[in-house]
Amino acid sequence: MPDKTFASRIEEDVKQEEQHAHPPTDDMPTILIKKTMRSGQSVRYPGHVVVLGDVNPGAEIIAGGNIVVMGFLRGVAHAGASGNEDVVVAAFRLQPTQLRIAHHITRAPDEEKDTIPDHPELARIKDGVVVIERYEPGETLKKY
Amino acid sequence: MGEVIVVTSGKGGVGKTTTTANIGTGLAALGKKVVLVDTDIGLRNLDVVLGLENRIVYDIVDVTEGNCRLKQALIKDKRFDDRLFLLPAAQTKDKTAISEQQMKDLCATLKQDFDFVIIDCPAGIEQGFKNAIAGAEKSLVVTTPEVAAVRDADRIIGLLEAAELPEPQLIINRIRPAMVKQGDMMDIDDMIDILAVNLLGVVPEDEKIVVSTNKGEPAVLDQESRAGEAYRNISRRLTGEEVPLMNLEVNENLVSRLKKLFGFGK
Repeated sequence: MPDKTFASRIEEDVKQEEQHAHPPTDDMPTILIKKTMRSGQSVRYPGHVVVLGDVNPGAEIIAGGNIVVMGFLRGVAHAGASGNEDVVVAAFRLQPTQLRIAHHITRAPDEEKDTIPDHPELARIKDGVVVIERYEPGETLKKY
Repeated sequence: MGEVIVVTSGKGGVGKTTTTANIGTGLAALGKKVVLVDTDIGLRNLDVVLGLENRIVYDIVDVTEGNCRLKQALIKDKRFDDRLFLLPAAQTKDKTAISEQQMKDLCATLKQDFDFVIIDCPAGIEQGFKNAIAGAEKSLVVTTPEVAAVRDADRIIGLLEAAELPEPQLIINRIRPAMVKQGDMMDIDDMIDILAVNLLGVVPEDEKIVVSTNKGEPAVLDQESRAGEAYRNISRRLTGEEVPLMNLEVNENLVSRLKKLFGFGK
């Protein structure tokens, strides 16, 4: 007899992970990637990841901390992969295939496929959901 | 000393073999000495496209295994005196029949006698691909205006960079200007945006290619063929000549041109 439903097990897993103390992101190291990341290429890093170039569809970045892409982010980005929700994904153009922050997984809505942003954007978790907002130098950073 | 160029794409069916045959023939027509190497062992096609299938006695595996001398395996294309040769792939073996080192040695030998050594790479990213790029100094990536082909081209460009080949050049194949104009097909700029490499040429979709590949007569030799013209331009660019991209707009038939003239057209 199954002792727990699938959903309740997931919930428990999440709760257990939430209890882990996350290292403060300020102390994390940062890696700089000075090239365009192409399909099939992947970066996993416990700290922050900064890309000077594009992240193409099929490429992935998995970071313990923040992710900053100084180009087009078209691939998959997972910030706060160890469970830390206090992180952001920022890109010059944020058009990811999929965006993950901690345990949250999002993608662009299907009907908005053709709306391409013409300004830098930043994704973070606000009230338990992933929100994407225009990146405004100074203003955005004051919130952190 | 010649140049060793690999023609690759990742995805199958985008026109690697057709491109290899046409560029090779185009370069030979420009007076260069060219050898085409088919590395698609087990699924060879380049011989068919060149119309040389019935002349194969020895193949690339016979050469690397020492069953014959290199010269014996090279098939001469009679249309070009002593300027165009083919080293065919084996059909009864598989990709593991040759090693990367053997390929390097082979390319080093061939480039002493030829101006251009052009390698037709198999689809995929496994051993066949690794062999094909092992001896190459330059690479041409072929793609078509489809999301899947562009995705694979991007993957391939990443692997070429990892193999420390200089920046590849892009050939966009089978483009349909009318569809691009209507917004139904990816345009050249969309592809360049993602792939971020230099464009070597754009080849329009052309029904004549089907006829020419089936007949074993590369389209570059057909003065009427639009794709042939594009491949002639690409061959000239490879010799260092500056040739502007051909105008794809003139692809209209007489009826639509007349309609436009009388104000009926869009």
